[in-house]
Amino acid sequence: MELFFFQLLNGLGLGVIYFLLSVGLTITFGLLNFVNFAHGAFYMVGAYVTFVIVSLTGNFWLALLIAPLVIGALAIALEQSVVKFSYVLEHKYQILVTLGVALMLQELVIMIWGPIGKNVSPPSSLAGIIEIGDFIYPKYRAFVITFSALIAIVVWWGLEKTKFGALVRAGSENAQMVGLLGVNITRLFSITFGLGGLLAGLAGVLAAPLRGADPFMGVEALGIAFIVVVIGGMGSFLGALVGGLVVGVMQSVMSSVWPEGASLMVYAAMAAVILSRPRGLFGRA
Amino acid sequence: MSLELKHCPILIAIALAAFLVLPSISLATEVLIFAIIALGCSILLGYAGLLSFGQAIFFGLGAYVASLSQIHLGVNFLVGLLIATAAGAIVAALVGALAIRRQGIYFVMLTLAFTQLAFFISYTLDEWTGGDNGLLDVPRNSVNIFGYEIAIDSSEKFYAFVAISFVLIFLALLRITHSQFGRTLLAIKQNEERATALGYSVKWYKVLAFVFSGSITAYAGGMYALFLNFAPLSNVELIMSEHILIMAIIGGTGNVYGAVLGSLFLVVVGDMLSAFWERWLFMLGGILILTVFYMRGGLISGLYGVFEFLSQKLGSASTQKES
Repeated sequence: MELFFFQLLNGLGLGVIYFLLSVGLTITFGLLNFVNFAHGAFYMVGAYVTFVIVSLTGNFWLALLIAPLVIGALAIALEQSVVKFSYVLEHKYQILVTLGVALMLQELVIMIWGPIGKNVSPPSSLAGIIEIGDFIYPKYRAFVITFSALIAIVVWWGLEKTKFGALVRAGSENAQMVGLLGVNITRLFSITFGLGGLLAGLAGVLAAPLRGADPFMGVEALGIAFIVVVIGGMGSFLGALVGGLVVGVMQSVMSSVWPEGASLMVYAAMAAVILSRPRGLFGRA
Repeated sequence: MSLELKHCPILIAIALAAFLVLPSISLATEVLIFAIIALGCSILLGYAGLLSFGQAIFFGLGAYVASLSQIHLGVNFLVGLLIATAAGAIVAALVGALAIRRQGIYFVMLTLAFTQLAFFISYTLDEWTGGDNGLLDVPRNSVNIFGYEIAIDSSEKFYAFVAISFVLIFLALLRITHSQFGRTLLAIKQNEERATALGYSVKWYKVLAFVFSGSITAYAGGMYALFLNFAPLSNVELIMSEHILIMAIIGGTGNVYGAVLGSLFLVVVGDMLSAFWERWLFMLGGILILTVFYMRGGLISGLYGVFEFLSQKLGSASTQKES
């Protein structure tokens, strides 16, 4: 029972990281109707930037502050140089273009840091464990859960309560109309794309001390993000949150019973959801 | 018949040229095998307009079935390859029938999920597939007809067998794509609603496209396992699907010779570059982006463009002489 609870908590920690990873993908899809196969690469580069900052300065908190900004800037640069020219193309060409971008980023990372993964140690202040009665839990994982929950609230507030969020939501309904009302829609697109990248980068920062940084984590993360977004429903914030938690908990609980089965099950669930309910749990389209 | 008469010499010339020009037989073998695989992808993308990440399923399946049927049933290599082809056709029909129930991005996601499922199933069934280590010591059991023993035990004989398979499969697919079936697929790709309104069973055409694609990919996957004497788990990885897609697109879909160019480009350039630049895939990503933006028809359309340009130049040169 205690092990089960432990795995459940681990699943929550994994789930909130999956949420941060997926929310950008789902919102860019909702607003821009754009499928980004390079989204997983933001997560991977986020982990590598963390590795660099931590090994240079030894300060994880600095990485937590700077790395997501770096990734956000990278995402905007990519949007301006490549991605924005593919908005007018069919989905299948968008997929191919971003696939090319993902491949280039992955190879670039291997060129710089080599094919073998790097370890990132958690900050010393979060190195130990916390005890609640008999129950013990790693401090860093507890931090990830609380911090990500906080970010989730900030993202929710940003989308629901600010003017920017209202524009994003309105743009998801009808981008052309929002443009006609005098909003600079191309700037809205690139800011949203950048913020989505920033959040994926943040997920990479938080994941780095848990799993290290390796060149192929981007592909893996892209698969996970697709599962989350499909299960939760394309374009839905709530869907990304619930989908992320469901996938995280499912993987974590299954991993103590039947590790390979965990991945088998989430992909089977993804196929089943697309076939039976393509809208996902909370999607509109 | 004129179609076959026209293309047969070209295909034989390609197979001979690959043998004579390329620096090694193994490289030439690989080019022809991957040309068939790229062709399988091109049928789906170029004719039916379906962007599928599922080709690795059929590739890996063909490799496993051709190997396992020889190891456990003791059949000869030809029967092993035919069983692999049949398995490829059946699984492709199943995958296709499920995937085409959704369109656009959801179709793509379904094929992606199926590939991941195939990967984890192959990984879990390690008693059969060898799991992470791959399936080792794949034999090439010789064929025995009326006391004649046909073995493909040398690399020259193996190349001859691959070349014959290459010519026959390309001729068969040329016949299929030039038939009413191929035309209808193109019509569906251009305007699915209109094709439906005209009374075509769009669903069946798409599933059939999957079956053709899946069966030749499985056959080629089987040959690849015999070629390497090894069926690695990486055959069924998502990355393999991506590479097959990139190969087909850079070569050019919608024209069977595009598949040859795509395979030639990836296999040969990959072989040359990887010797001194291990991360040449970086360049491949860039080429993929440029192809989508500037040369949607792939290398084959570029080649046709050059031919046209040259013939115009020569044409105008000769008319100038006359005047």
